[in-house]
Amino acid sequence: MSLLEATGLTVRFEGLVALDGVNVAVAEGETVGVIGPNGSGKTTLFNALTGLLAPAAGEIVFLGRRLVGLEAHAIARLGIARTFQASRLCLDLSVFDNILIGMHARRRTSLLDFVARRGRFLGEMRAAIERASHLLTLFNRALPQRGFERVGQLPQIDRRRVEICRALAAGPRLLLLDEPSAGMSPEETAELMRDLRIVRDEMPGLSVVIIEHDMFVIEGVSQRVVAFNYGRKIAEGSFAEVARHAEVRAAYLGTEAPHA
Amino acid sequence: MSRDLAGVWLAEAAVFALVVAAILAERPWALGATGGALVAAGALVRFVPRLGAALVGAFARRRAAALAGGAVFALALPLALRSSPYWTFVATLALLYVTIGQGLNFQLGTAGVINLAGAAFAGLGGYAVGLATVAGGWPSWLAVLVGPWVAVTVGTLLFVPILKTRGHYLALVTIAFVFIFNILVNNLEFTGGPQGIKNIPTLSLGGYAFTTRPALAGVDLPAHANFYYAALAMAGLTTWVLRRLHDSWLGLALNTLRDDEITARCCGVSVTRGKLLAFSIGNFFIGLGGAFYAVMVGFVSPPDFDFGYSLVMLSVIIIGGVDSIPGVVLGACLLVPLPERFRFLHEYRLLLYGVVIVVMLLYRPRGLWPAQIRRYR
Repeated sequence: MSLLEATGLTVRFEGLVALDGVNVAVAEGETVGVIGPNGSGKTTLFNALTGLLAPAAGEIVFLGRRLVGLEAHAIARLGIARTFQASRLCLDLSVFDNILIGMHARRRTSLLDFVARRGRFLGEMRAAIERASHLLTLFNRALPQRGFERVGQLPQIDRRRVEICRALAAGPRLLLLDEPSAGMSPEETAELMRDLRIVRDEMPGLSVVIIEHDMFVIEGVSQRVVAFNYGRKIAEGSFAEVARHAEVRAAYLGTEAPHA
Repeated sequence: MSRDLAGVWLAEAAVFALVVAAILAERPWALGATGGALVAAGALVRFVPRLGAALVGAFARRRAAALAGGAVFALALPLALRSSPYWTFVATLALLYVTIGQGLNFQLGTAGVINLAGAAFAGLGGYAVGLATVAGGWPSWLAVLVGPWVAVTVGTLLFVPILKTRGHYLALVTIAFVFIFNILVNNLEFTGGPQGIKNIPTLSLGGYAFTTRPALAGVDLPAHANFYYAALAMAGLTTWVLRRLHDSWLGLALNTLRDDEITARCCGVSVTRGKLLAFSIGNFFIGLGGAFYAVMVGFVSPPDFDFGYSLVMLSVIIIGGVDSIPGVVLGACLLVPLPERFRFLHEYRLLLYGVVIVVMLLYRPRGLWPAQIRRYR
């Protein structure tokens, strides 16, 4: 059975149909690559799955629960975490704070603990910071030492890592990565691919959906690829199959699509 | 390291002595000399890096001792000011602004919920006390405890339209609310109209009326010292509670909400719940300050809670440091007494606050004591 299943998902902006009756399923432990030209509906898919956008039609079922109509924070608490195409870190907050917020939904202490039973709260925080350090160490051994610095002082590649750590900190069942290599050099992209493999080795049960323009990344990390164009799913299968697909080639290379 | 200890306490004693001397100086040259000494001391610490670093290090290593020293000097202030009931009153007022400023800072600085209706929420606390004691016959201490909840309740009702607005509109809604509040209390029968509510009974705890002149260590103090100590306890408790809330999951969630709402939502933070919680907690302490003010001066009237005071509260935060808890204390202790000391400034108080806000935002947007990174320890 699929972990996540979206059927007939449709999102409209005024007159524009951004997603047009899309069916997507993600199995447990699977990594799915999502490709497609700009404006083909990839990020819109993520926004609909995470509750930032309300679909006009369709159904999303995650772990047997219907997500349409739930608020974004409620969906996050069910176990879907994501990163964003343009980095969305709180630059004035520390590296640790940016990761700890990912664990916010799993906290066990209350307002009373924060004020009156401080020991209990601080104990939970020590464990949380240790977990954040562990996540950072997976990617870069030197990062935990900079945990109490403002995240704005880190280089781009490390910021991206902090963002992935924040998503992982929530202990999600499904991780949505929105074009993690955006704005990166080829060297940084290679490091990123290494990072993504580390994530897969560390958390084998985690399902990942990754939007990417970099075909080397898609080929390197995903077991299955879904291609979009004009809000519709135009192909699905292994990377080789999708890459051979006539409509995909047309979407990317601009030749006339044969009518099926 | 007893050198640290000596440095910390010596620095605190020097600031205390200079501040008291500046307050009590009667002749212009004495005021000029003490004021000049304060500025010179500040410049010395600021521009002699080794001295500044040594002091900062000493304060960081000896935090508990520094806080204890500060508490001792705060407790001793009425003794030093005993010849002047007026300055005891001003010091108490500064402490009320600490309480109110911490509440407002939790909304504005921590959660990014812009509230320009601070004066109205303080007024709700003050008028609640006035009505409960004068019309309802409640004891003052009970009214002071209940008054803040009126501010919280009205704030919650106001929150419904606020939640539907974004950014600058939030500021506009709260500005509108201050004016609505003022027009209402000015025109309603039961709030006493422009006369306000007079003869609010003073605080008395366990039979001890706050109008009796206390004696501390054999020294007679003005009656206002009672209020000073009560306000000190209130400001201390408020600061302590909000410090702990700030350095917690709640403070972190609110900071994230302030910086990036979408990120916060995708991390499982409920925008409605977070903002309402921050707004209510803040209004409680703002209302508490207003309630205490009512029993301290014995009457409330519309001009005590007009829009100008919202701006004073805002400037306390901006000069001290947005989202900075020690910054609010510093801001209140600077901004409330200064216009009282320089009476010629008093006429132009609002102008002064306006200039202070603009200068701070231009040259030191994080304030005199910027917010520090959470350490969770």
